[in-house]
Amino acid sequence: MKKTNPSFLNGIPELLVLRLLARREMYGYQIVEEIRTQTGESLSFGEGCIYPYLHYLEAEKQVSSQRREVAGRNRNYYKLTARGRKRLDELTSEWSRVTTGVALLMGVQHA
Amino acid sequence: MLRTDFIEQLRRRLVELGCPLAPSRRLVQEVADHREDLKQAALSEGLSEVGAETRADVQLGDPLALAEQLLVALRRSSWWGRHCVIGFGVLPVLAVPVLWLALLLLQLSLEFTLGFGWDPKKLHAAAANPVVFRHLVIVIQCADSIAMALVTLLFCWLARRAAVSFKWMATASTICSLYALFVQAIIKPHSFEIGVSWSPHWIRAALPLLIAGAICFFRQRMMQRFQEKVAV
Repeated sequence: MKKTNPSFLNGIPELLVLRLLARREMYGYQIVEEIRTQTGESLSFGEGCIYPYLHYLEAEKQVSSQRREVAGRNRNYYKLTARGRKRLDELTSEWSRVTTGVALLMGVQHA
Repeated sequence: MLRTDFIEQLRRRLVELGCPLAPSRRLVQEVADHREDLKQAALSEGLSEVGAETRADVQLGDPLALAEQLLVALRRSSWWGRHCVIGFGVLPVLAVPVLWLALLLLQLSLEFTLGFGWDPKKLHAAAANPVVFRHLVIVIQCADSIAMALVTLLFCWLARRAAVSFKWMATASTICSLYALFVQAIIKPHSFEIGVSWSPHWIRAALPLLIAGAICFFRQRMMQRFQEKVAV
């Protein structure tokens, strides 16, 4: 069976994480909280599920991590790499293309 | 903070699933940090210590399912984990003879450089002397077995590193074993050959399987010790 648009369906968590890390470096809990609050709680990562994802992105060299102590707490901070930034640009343009297409279709149906 | 039921269950499940030690430690540490953040958030909302811990555990979900998700992601993060069939089923068929031959020739070159091994002149001279010839046979057989053992260890190490299931390690080891059964370095008076021999060499063929078995055995023991430690 032919696959549906896999990058569209699977790329959303990647897009969200890379977009957040493009603003500043963050640790896992912060990323989950930011996704929840900035999407008006309409999207949320399962707590803990973010780590496999971050490790995957790190293995793909899209993010890098560093363990640091901030305010008495040791945490792994993740930041975007040059490859991650490039991937973010690709995903952003793909997302724009898909949402524009969907918006056009929805507009036709509503008309 | 780390010694909680949730974290111990997560750690135990990761070990059971064959997650290598270093990534396992990191995953457990990060989930423990996350749990502490969730707990602090709950405490700041006025919950009790016990209530905050319970809520953090509920938010994190089932530790066993989480361990499985973590392992799947770990496997997906490496080429060997994503392409088990190619990496441990197809590639060894092509790579084992090449790697074995390269390692064998490297060892023989080293031995030759050190003055203990084989070179054509020595081979002809040794053919007349049974003691020296026996010495050469032992050197070449050892080099041959070491080369095959190193190739097997390489695939076992790759399988462990990618955290794939034991069956893939066993598959690669079986391929090494089949090669060891028929492909070998043969030394005869006045001749040294590398190729296929139709008289199977059973002891040599057992070596890759013994290596895989030993790794599996030590892994089981490590898991057992870990479980005893947790039970105490």
